[in-house]
Amino acid sequence: MSAAAELPTKEAHILKGHEGAVLAARFNGDGNYALTCGKDRTIRLWNPHRGILIKTYKSHGREVRDVHVTSDNAKFCSCGGDRQVYYWDVSTGRVIRKFRGHDGEVNAVKFNDSSSVVVSAGFDRSLRVWDCRSHSVEPVQIIDTFLDTVMSVVLTKTEIIGGSVDGTVRTFDMRIGREMSDNLGQPVNCISISNDGNCVLAGCLDSTLRLLDRTTGELLQVYKGHISKSFKTDCCLTNSDAHVIGGSEDGLVFFWDLVDAKVVSKFRAHDLVVTSVSYHPKEDCMLTSSVDGTVRVWKK
Amino acid sequence: MGSDEEDFVFHGTPIEREEEIGSRKKKAVAGASGNLRTLPAWKQEVTDEEGRRRFHGAFTGGYSAGYYNTVGSKEGWAPQSFTSSRKNRAGARKQSISDFLDEDEKADMEGKSLSASSQFDTFGFTAAEHSRKQAEKEQHERPSAIPGPVPDELVAPVSESIGVKLLLKMGWRRGHSIKDVRASSDARREARKAFLAFSTDENTKETPDSLVSETEVETSLGPQFSEDIKLSESTPVYVLNPKQDLHGLGYDPFKHAPEFREKKRSRLSANKEVGFRKPLSMKESLFGPKSGKIAPGFGIGALEELDVEDEDVYAGYDFDQTYVIEDEQPARPSNDNRLRLTSKEHDVLPGFGAAKNSDYSMERFNPPNIPKDFVARHKFSGPLEAETKPTVSAPPDVPPPADNNLKLLIEGFATFVSRCGKLYEDLSREKNQSNQLFDFLRGGNGHDYYRRRLWEEQQKRSDQSKLTLDVKQSPTVPKMTAETRGSLLGEKPLQRSLKETDTSASSGGSFQFPTNLSDTFTKSASSQEAADAVKPFKDDPAKQERFEQFFKEKYKGGLRTTDSNRVNSMSESARAQERLDFEAAAEAIEKGKAYKEVRRATEQPIDFLAGGLQFTSGGTEQIKDTGVVDMKSSKTYPKREEFQWRPSPLLCKRFDLPDPFMGKLPPAPRARNKMDSLIFLPDTVKAACTRQVSESQEPKTETSIEEPEVEVEVENVERPVDLYKAIFSDDSEDDEDQPINGKIQEGQEKKNEAAATTLNRLIAGDFLESLGKELGFEVPSDVPYQEGIKPMEEESKSRSKPEDSSDKRRDRSGLKEKVEEKRSSLILGSEEEKSRKKREKSPRKGSGGNNLSSGEFSGDERRRKRSNKKDRPIDSESDSSSDYHSRDKQGSRSRRKRRESSREKRSSHKKHSKHHRTKKSSSSRYSSDEEQKESRREKKRRRD
Repeated sequence: MSAAAELPTKEAHILKGHEGAVLAARFNGDGNYALTCGKDRTIRLWNPHRGILIKTYKSHGREVRDVHVTSDNAKFCSCGGDRQVYYWDVSTGRVIRKFRGHDGEVNAVKFNDSSSVVVSAGFDRSLRVWDCRSHSVEPVQIIDTFLDTVMSVVLTKTEIIGGSVDGTVRTFDMRIGREMSDNLGQPVNCISISNDGNCVLAGCLDSTLRLLDRTTGELLQVYKGHISKSFKTDCCLTNSDAHVIGGSEDGLVFFWDLVDAKVVSKFRAHDLVVTSVSYHPKEDCMLTSSVDGTVRVWKK
Repeated sequence: MGSDEEDFVFHGTPIEREEEIGSRKKKAVAGASGNLRTLPAWKQEVTDEEGRRRFHGAFTGGYSAGYYNTVGSKEGWAPQSFTSSRKNRAGARKQSISDFLDEDEKADMEGKSLSASSQFDTFGFTAAEHSRKQAEKEQHERPSAIPGPVPDELVAPVSESIGVKLLLKMGWRRGHSIKDVRASSDARREARKAFLAFSTDENTKETPDSLVSETEVETSLGPQFSEDIKLSESTPVYVLNPKQDLHGLGYDPFKHAPEFREKKRSRLSANKEVGFRKPLSMKESLFGPKSGKIAPGFGIGALEELDVEDEDVYAGYDFDQTYVIEDEQPARPSNDNRLRLTSKEHDVLPGFGAAKNSDYSMERFNPPNIPKDFVARHKFSGPLEAETKPTVSAPPDVPPPADNNLKLLIEGFATFVSRCGKLYEDLSREKNQSNQLFDFLRGGNGHDYYRRRLWEEQQKRSDQSKLTLDVKQSPTVPKMTAETRGSLLGEKPLQRSLKETDTSASSGGSFQFPTNLSDTFTKSASSQEAADAVKPFKDDPAKQERFEQFFKEKYKGGLRTTDSNRVNSMSESARAQERLDFEAAAEAIEKGKAYKEVRRATEQPIDFLAGGLQFTSGGTEQIKDTGVVDMKSSKTYPKREEFQWRPSPLLCKRFDLPDPFMGKLPPAPRARNKMDSLIFLPDTVKAACTRQVSESQEPKTETSIEEPEVEVEVENVERPVDLYKAIFSDDSEDDEDQPINGKIQEGQEKKNEAAATTLNRLIAGDFLESLGKELGFEVPSDVPYQEGIKPMEEESKSRSKPEDSSDKRRDRSGLKEKVEEKRSSLILGSEEEKSRKKREKSPRKGSGGNNLSSGEFSGDERRRKRSNKKDRPIDSESDSSSDYHSRDKQGSRSRRKRRESSREKRSSHKKHSKHHRTKKSSSSRYSSDEEQKESRREKKRRRD
């Protein structure tokens, strides 16, 4: 259990301020700041290492479900129940652009590496790519091959990966113009990509995390023990790809060993559903957010 | 914010929107100094001290509208009807009180309002009212010295209320308090209870009427009554509606929305019960019922609707609370009263002591205890029911007694007894102790026969009753069989036999399917086991039964039973569907058995089939889901599939990637369009198409030769090889047309239509032409096609030049020339008219045209034509009137020059016409729809 010692299991700060459930907590590109969003229709910028709230962004008409910061930390995008994707300026707090077009709630947003496009995953079974460079508010591309709600989206340099309730993880490769659909047979709640880029971790609604090899589509490992049946809960990998982290609906956070799928550590992070787990890009630091309205910063 | 030095530091509270406040202040100051007064009325804004604009209107968002925010006009509600003042001068109109009364008030005055009759007039209000009315009426009839209605005070009620009467009977006298009457406060309590009941009634009624009457309680309460209360020296009159809100006196916020009052009260009382008090916001009370599960603290916009998404999915833990809120029930008023009392006890004002015993405590009457063995169903213990218990063993059949009278009597009596019950038999036995005739009752003569008859009668009756029961139901629902009805009612099928009325089997609970004869023959042990263990259609017993039959037949053979009697109610398709289900289920069961056996060999308990192998109508899917897939799920998933996906060029650009589909046309749906249009044509047209196809082999080869560069793309597109497509590979035509008229992207249906009509027209044209030939006329051919043909010819013209130089392609060009000859020949006939016209203009041209139209060329003529050709370009260019046709002619002529050898073949008119037709048909197939459309236009023009 020496590995467990390296895990961020000690609570460093509690970030309080959101009224109602916090739906997502994300580090920025360098891990110095964090953005959280929630049911109270606000997005909040924090310094998680000092535990202070910096700024509150209000413009959403409904709950905010996901947020993502550009790599240069100048802009961020958010999405939520109001079916729009907002493109914000961090420092002024103004909305630069609103992308309308989704026919349903938008579950997830991500920037690409160069922060030139935003990809959003929606309840309307589509992924939409929005252009941040031009002034066009029409989507650059609509990917609507999914059969059900798209819950999560991940971008690499050349691919768009989406996880959907139809049980598939679909990889859209722009270099070869292929779509690879990995059917897991269970609704996919959240996907995240390993740091080496070879694997995809898919959190399924049968309380299972599945690790897939991206090149072959092979199922590498299955992680069980937590509860994930009805809420959108996140999962991620640690920086070293040694452990898999998953939030549970009973307020616990689980750490599994990547290889032998053993629960290395689990602890009660929140009283209620853990909605989001985010890992610091460099250090061993973790953010968890919960329905109880708090965001907690965990360090080792 | 990228680096740490830019880190934000916060002290104090930020001052927000300074500039806004500044401007507001400025505005306010300007307003105060009177600057705004100078503005026109519509520009003036009402502002508060802060300078914020004060809105007014229906809600807080309205601006000034209508006539001073009313719906009226300057003249009032409606323009008054015009009355001429010439004849009837508008005199001083007499106003009466009824002009100012509302309907309900009038009704009140007229005495039409609902009130207690004098008999039940507990407190004498109706009497007072009645007397007042009476006085008024009398006053009207005979005017007295005092004008106007008699003041209420002067008119006392004439009758006494029943309450007063009762009290008087109980010994109470006027002027005495009720308490004094009896030491035991029975009467007092009664009166107070009555009063309380009345007051609570008043409370619950929320209509304005009730309010009015309530005030009446206070004002016009009979003097004697208030007197009574005062004299009674009991506790002071309870303040019924203590003021608890912060509204102004007399202001009733719920005046026009009484249902909200109830809601509020219930909420208040609920809060008190719980023990905490939440501040009530209007919004909550407005959206309360709808937003039972909305997330705390967040509302949504006024224009948005609450939907599923707004429910707080995360707050699914305290169900009690949501339950309470959802279950909106109006508070019980009696409860309310008691609450007020008890709450008073809690916090007693200084100097006051809490009453030790309150008279107001309501008595509670507990419901009676229900004995444990009580069954909530009435059972009729009539003789009939008691008697219907079947006699298990039928008495032996005995011959009737010799005496005919006795026989008749016995039979009649038996029928009677069977109808009326055993009781009657006993009764009559007792009665007719001495009567010899009734000896058979006591075991005398004919007793055996009587028993037998009685039994038979009873049997008959029970059957009858059953029958009537069945009949009663069946005519109303003709298609309902007993089984479907049973399944609807959730019954389990009973063991059914007509002669036995044994109902104890049904009460046993467990049921068994009828064991058929075939079962005994065919059922092997294993099948028995499987069928017993697996009941895939448990939900539908009838279906299960059918399935078992099916299963037996399929795997075990056995006696075939005819299905017709069983499934006559099912439609053919339903039967087929069911059969499919059965097949699947049977297969699954077989598989499961095999699986079972395997597992048994490994000595492991399994619950494969026990795990809910339930079949519904969609049985085939279900079996996949439950049985097979569960076993193999780990193997089948994850499943990888690959598809082609086309990223948009801009997306690739934004990702800094080269577009994998760079320069390639989108896999267009266009590939389909024309084929479809042909495929969906009526059969006759199709036949025509095929006929034409057989005639035109050459053009096809031509196109394949002509478009080598297009073929690359065709490969790319990967179309399925279709018969029609193989014949009409028309993409080449598309590509030809595109540079000329880029309107390829026209509506699909238009194209369909165009294709169909053109084909029809072609057939008609062929017919006309042949007819014309027979009659010896020159039928003008469809000139319009020339336009479509022209580009091809130009192209071929341009191509033919290099071909001349290169001898290698000789053969190919020869082929092409053949085709082009046909084309030119097509033109010939149609040129007739024009050439004739031109002949008038220039004899030289005319002669050429004439020759062409004749279709027969002698050598010298040809030579002459060639000479024509040489100076032709100049000619045509200078000739402004030269149109497509003339140019076409030129083209054809210029080519013809090179094809003298082949031209000799076509000398006869017949041949010509044949070619002509071929060309037309081919052109119909090869020319694009655009051409066809144009041709139609052209035709129309010509017709006009």
